[in-house]
Formats: sequence, C-alpha cells, structure tokens
Amino acid sequence: MTITEKIMAYNSGRDKVTPGELVWTDVFSVMTMDYLGKETFKLFDSLGAGDVFDKERVICVSDHLVPPPTPQFATMLNEWRAAVKAHDIKYFYDLGRQGIAHQIMVEQGHVLPGKISVGTDSHANTYGAVGAMGNAVAVSDAAVAMATGKCWFRVPEQVKFYVTGQWQPYVMAKDLSLHIMGMMRWNGHLIYKTLEYAGPAIDALDIAGRMTLCNMTVDLGAKNGIIAPDQKTIDFLRPVQKGTWDMISSDADANYEAIYEIDVTNLGPTVARPDKLDDVVPVEQVVGTKFNKAFIGTCTNGRLEDIAVVAQILKGQQVHPDVNFLLVPASTQIYKDAIKAGYIETLIDAGVAVDTPSCSACAGIHTGVAGDGDVVLSAGNRNMKGRMGSKNAAIYLTSPAVVAASALKGEIVDPRRG
Amino acid sequence: MIIRGKAWTSRAYVMSFDMVVQRFWTSPIDKTENAKFIMAGVDAKYDKENAFKDEGYTFIVAAHNFAGGGKSIEHCVTGLMGAGIRAVFADSFARLQFRNAINYGLPFVTAPSVIDMVETGDELEYNLDTCELKNLTNGKSMTTAPVAPFVAEVAEAGGLLDFIRKKIADGTVADLR
Repeated sequence: MTITEKIMAYNSGRDKVTPGELVWTDVFSVMTMDYLGKETFKLFDSLGAGDVFDKERVICVSDHLVPPPTPQFATMLNEWRAAVKAHDIKYFYDLGRQGIAHQIMVEQGHVLPGKISVGTDSHANTYGAVGAMGNAVAVSDAAVAMATGKCWFRVPEQVKFYVTGQWQPYVMAKDLSLHIMGMMRWNGHLIYKTLEYAGPAIDALDIAGRMTLCNMTVDLGAKNGIIAPDQKTIDFLRPVQKGTWDMISSDADANYEAIYEIDVTNLGPTVARPDKLDDVVPVEQVVGTKFNKAFIGTCTNGRLEDIAVVAQILKGQQVHPDVNFLLVPASTQIYKDAIKAGYIETLIDAGVAVDTPSCSACAGIHTGVAGDGDVVLSAGNRNMKGRMGSKNAAIYLTSPAVVAASALKGEIVDPRRG
Repeated sequence: MIIRGKAWTSRAYVMSFDMVVQRFWTSPIDKTENAKFIMAGVDAKYDKENAFKDEGYTFIVAAHNFAGGGKSIEHCVTGLMGAGIRAVFADSFARLQFRNAINYGLPFVTAPSVIDMVETGDELEYNLDTCELKNLTNGKSMTTAPVAPFVAEVAEAGGLLDFIRKKIADGTVADLR
C-alpha cells in the first residue's frame, strides 16, 4: 500500500483500502477559520451532538478577515469569536496570535504523520508536508467531523512524482509546483487523486518547501499531496506536536496509477501567466514584463525560508520606484523569527511594506488588494481573474526569488541573471 | 425515478468562484437564497436576481473540472439545487464540489464526452435507476456509471446533515466506521 492508503486503512479500522472505495475514517483534527467558521458552528449546533468531539482537536484560526477591513467583517469576526468561545475551544489563534490556518496547523503540531485532518479551506492539502493526510472540506463535512470525529472519503487513485537531481540556485519548491501544473494541466488527469512526492530532491527540501509543494496539490485538482516523514519531520514536530505518532511510508511494491519522474537539475524559475494557473512558462519567456505590484505571503510562500530568500536578494538595494512591494508573513511566529533574523529590517530598508500575518491580498479581501489595471507579480497560489480584487488586474504567479529580483527592476527578470 | 427537463451546457471551465461570486461566499446556506445569483460570474446576464433560475434548467452538462477553482464553499451546490438543477453531467468534477454534491444528494454524474451530445436548451431525460441519459431533442443517448450505495443512502436520508442527525439521535454514530 501507499502511505495514503495505509493512513486511510488504519484510520478506518481496515487491513487495506482500494482506490474508489468509500470509507468513514477517524479524524485527528478539524480546522475552521473566521471566514466560514460561524456557519460551521451553526451547522454543528443543528446536529444535536452536544460538545465537539474533542476540545483540543477542533482548531480555530482567524486569518481571512484579520485585521477586519470593513465594519461588516468586523461584525462577522465578533460573531465568529462568540461561536468559538461558546464551544470552549482550547486552541484559538485569534488576532495577536494569528497566522494563516494551514501554517498554524503544521507549525503548532496540530497535524501529525499517519493521521487525517480536515479544514474548511481548500489549501488543507498543505498538511501532507509532514506525512499527514490533509483534506479540504466544506462546512457540512467540518460540522459532522466536529460532532463525530469522523469524515467520509473516497479512497483516491495514487500518483507518484519521483523527483531527482540537484536544486539549482534561486530555484524553489514553488517552481516545481508550477512546472507540474504546466505539465499536467487541468484536464482531469489529477482530479480526486493522491499526489505523493518522493525521491532525493524531495528529501533535500526543508519542511517549508514541502509545505509549498503539498499546498499547491489542491490547485492541481488533487485530493491530497503527501511526503513521507523523515528525520526532518521528526525534528520539526518534536517541540510542538499535539500527540504521538509513528513513522509511516509507502511499501516498495505499492501500486500507483502513474509514476512521473522529474529531474530538477534542469528546472529553472517558472511563472504562471495571468488568469490560468496551468498556463505555465519558464521565466525566460516573460522576462521584461512590467508590473506595478509585488506580493509575498500566503500559505504557499509566506514562510521564514521564503522571507530569507527575499531578504538576501534585496539586501542593500532598493525596490523599483514604480513597484509597490507588500510582504505578509504567514504566521506571528514567522513574523517574530524574521524580525530576530534581521530580515524585516532589510526589507523595510529596501522599500518593502510588511503587514501583520493574514491571508492578505491572496483572498482578495483585504490588505493590498488589486485594482483596475494592476499587474501583480505574486508568490501566492491562484491567478484567476478577480482573485486578488479587481477583475481588471493581471496576476503572474511565481517564486519568492523571482518576485524579489524582479521588484528591483520593475519588470520580470531571471533571478539567476539578476 | 426519471427526471426530465432542459439542459444548460458549457464547454469552457465552469469555476466555483464564478458560480458563486465573492460577495456571497459568507452567506448562510439556504437553497432559495443561494440560487438568486447562482452563475453570476459565469455569464454577466446571470448577475440579476433569479436570472439563471428563471431560464428553467433541470440539468447542467459540462466538460472537465466542473466547479473547479478550489473554493470550499457549498453554496455552489445549494445554489444549483435552489435554481432547479437536479443532475449535473461532466467529464470530471472538482473534488470539493463533488463532495458537496454527495452531501446534499444532488447527482454529479461523471460522463465522458457528454458535452458532445447536448446543446443548451435541449430536452433531456435521465433515469436514476438504469443510469440512462437520453437527449430527447436530438435522439442521442448514453449510459452513465451507477451511483455508489453510500451516495444513494445519503441522498435517501435527505443529505449528510440529516443522515448524521439521525445517527446521533439513534446513538449509532460509532457504527459509521
């Protein structure tokens, strides 16, 4: 069996599972956030279950709406907080301790290898970075999981990406994500499936890079993305883990519907052009494209390792006067660590605006949304029309390295050439 | 059971965030309310109260990645149901909305190349028992994959929430797995 099949089998009390089968499994943790949480608790209350299944394993996070941009959202946040309080939830990451929910779930050890966690936001696939099965659900499923500690799943077909080679300077996990997006497109190849990443080039990634890779599996249409735990996972989780877990990995003779081999030695910085996530090109093809907004943050690329790359590129230089550069750390912990490391001072000196952690402009709700005519170079995860605000804005998606190097010139550059 | 009615079709990606535009993402779940501006971002003519509903469709026929774009909102499904849609056929569905459809008992039926046998406005007939889909306008037909027993069970119960309410009331939740 693959790691995902094993997780689904163990958590459904079976010896094995087969792709296509529908099973009910135990859920280790359930995440909901400010944007959809009030409705989730309302549906939960309607089930007649009394208390949530475990007050330490329903995790609540304020990320989409904080700090609130409008009176309407401020009111929504108040209702959300009242709902969280009413259910006596132990882990509530509200403004002041906030972060993007998926970052919090991994960073604070609420997801663990071999366990299944669900969240009411699509990028819950991120949890696969530490060997968990992370799955996005809507409010009804989350309400049921809060009540029962269970969720139903269709066992997904298994697809493996075996990744070898040497990562080149300024090439990041995001480039691999986008490259795979361009390679597989959206025509149903990966819909409902597990994307398992393995191989020496995956082993070489830190947890931050693995999170980027698993995060964007949802944008490939997949059900989950997963990387087997290793020593890096153990070291990352040890100080924060909210439970015990065992090592787990795919069997050597596991069945895959397809195995794709990729050598990252020849992978360069990669860009998705506006409106379609699967319209992906090597950076060379868009070099010289002018833009007026640069954005780094999100559950995809708002981590300390991403900020470090940006700070390294911008150190001692100035962002182009025609570019507004906004950087939003993915969590309060990351923000603090970036201050300690001196990155934030470097960024501010270079002319970057740094904001308090949130989903920020990525969800098009607040903090630096795009207006008519804006051309945004973003390290986020989606670029469809209207994603970051105006439908008349264009969004190029790429890695933090490309965003930083390009922001110095006011046009897209290849960071390997500067 | 046989469902009969008019189809709305699209060969282009129909995305979740266009089916339900952003100003409604945090609306309460309510079929009638969610239906009012369903498809508002798919076609500007539907950005008017009940404009899609008033065209009187029973089926949607689409190509790949129906309701894609990864929104975890379930208004896409409740909105379609409130607008009178009783089944959706496509080459493939985005998984979040596929889940939501099962949870609400709205058939999302995977039917390869179904888009090649239907035009918007065609009259279709779908037999839920035999899984036969007939286009009464052009005479074409196909047989779709059968519905999994669990899916039928949830639909029978009136959706996932009612299915679970009953199990909680009966004290049989532990039997789920």
